[in-house]
Amino acid sequence: MTNYTKKDVLLKVEQVSLAYGDKQILRDVNFEIRDIVRTGVQQGQVVSLIGRSGIGKTQLFKILSGLNQPTSGKVKLGNGSLIKAGDMGVVFQNYYLFEWRTIYQSLEMSAKKNPALKESQIKNEINKYADDFQLTEHLSKYPQQLSGGQRQRVSIIQQLLKGSSFILFDEPFSGLDIIVLEKVVNLIHQVSLSDELKTLIIVSHDIETSLSLSDTVFILANEDGKSGATIKKEIDLCAEGIAWNPDIKHLAAFKEIVAEIKGSI
Amino acid sequence: MLKQIFAPFGRTNKQIFIGLAISQAILALVLWHIGSNGLIPKPLNVVNAFINLLTSKNLIDNLLISFMLTLKAMGISILITLFLAYLSVIPFFKTIALFVVKCRYLTLTGLIFIFTLLTKDGSALKLSLLIFGIVPFFVTSFLSVILTIDSQQFEICETLGFSKWETLYEVIIVGKADQVVEIIRQNMAIAWLMITMVEGLSMSEGGLGTMLIKFNKYNDITNVLAVQLMIFIIGLLLDLILGNLKYWLFPYSKLQIQQ
Repeated sequence: MTNYTKKDVLLKVEQVSLAYGDKQILRDVNFEIRDIVRTGVQQGQVVSLIGRSGIGKTQLFKILSGLNQPTSGKVKLGNGSLIKAGDMGVVFQNYYLFEWRTIYQSLEMSAKKNPALKESQIKNEINKYADDFQLTEHLSKYPQQLSGGQRQRVSIIQQLLKGSSFILFDEPFSGLDIIVLEKVVNLIHQVSLSDELKTLIIVSHDIETSLSLSDTVFILANEDGKSGATIKKEIDLCAEGIAWNPDIKHLAAFKEIVAEIKGSI
Repeated sequence: MLKQIFAPFGRTNKQIFIGLAISQAILALVLWHIGSNGLIPKPLNVVNAFINLLTSKNLIDNLLISFMLTLKAMGISILITLFLAYLSVIPFFKTIALFVVKCRYLTLTGLIFIFTLLTKDGSALKLSLLIFGIVPFFVTSFLSVILTIDSQQFEICETLGFSKWETLYEVIIVGKADQVVEIIRQNMAIAWLMITMVEGLSMSEGGLGTMLIKFNKYNDITNVLAVQLMIFIIGLLLDLILGNLKYWLFPYSKLQIQQ
């Protein structure tokens, strides 16, 4: 088992509820994400929020990103400040980009929002990421000229250049074929390795793929007799001893956890 | 092929489409030729009158007067529209923009006297009436563009940490710049339609509208139709120029159509 310690709280969700009129969407959602430090490895955190379709994942996603406000409750960053739009990087499900900007221009706009980047560094930084993500030849193109996978990579670089420690992914595995899916998984893994404090939150209904990437999984589901989804279960894959294992999908413990999750959502 | 031409959503290639348009135009001209009597001039007479008009200095002068007035009115209307539309995201200006939209139900004829009192001469009267006629349609078109903006365009700005003003600039001003040209293209026809009407209010300066009124007064239908043909051809040219200008200035708009 890999040595690790869980240190400071990076994100804390406290008693978050959301209702539209009489319809309770989310109820008393509580969880926290801690900085996981592995001996001899620089790696961020990958957390998955799993729930079936229509349970309220997108609503929770919007609250976590600061785009929507909960009816009650708080989402706090590690320093205690309340989350607001712009604190988290967001990769939307449809990889939304400014259709009227070239890829370079879009990335440049994000980079200019990063206080850690000086004007003189921006071009080099964009070229470095474009090279890492095999997008160099596409920098002068418009988003409509890119494939879905290329758009996704641009969306991710856009958020990386902005410098957010947190990146939220909305259903990143939805509708992908097996080859593209593998590339996306590698891409997310690559991003998670970029910084010790980089925290990726994957909101998905794809249990197996999300689990294979994550160190912690939160199950969003309804409890018997209560309306509104809540965190029904937290699974610590580090404690289970199966996190960060390249062959995780073949482990018996992994299969058991997948079966357990399927039974609870 | 015949089945495709008459089938809903039938697919035709460019050659078939052009062939279809030419044959329909020929058919319309033949029907016009056969159906015209002494009062309605035959197409060939209209074409001859059109050629005569083209060679007369009278047409060029009047055409330039109408054209310059239209351009001036369009220019000012665009500025007013952009000002109102861009600021319509601010509640204070939203009410004004919505009021302007409703003004398209007002008829110009009923306001001529008021505008005559408010303006110093015939030229200013024509210009102000044209602007008053065009702006509500421009604002209506542009507001509908703003209202149909995908909310994700605003959300991505928020997640990138844009301020509200930066979002306004990026999503509405820069992001919809191609739509401004498209709206101008679509509404140019309205301006071109109104010009002939307002020119009748102050005939001393001339213009295509004045020409039409004069020819109508003497029941010279052949020349009326020849002027109409000129107006139609210029309208088509403007449409073509603005359409190409949009693709040249904003190449991504062509990509969106292709998608």
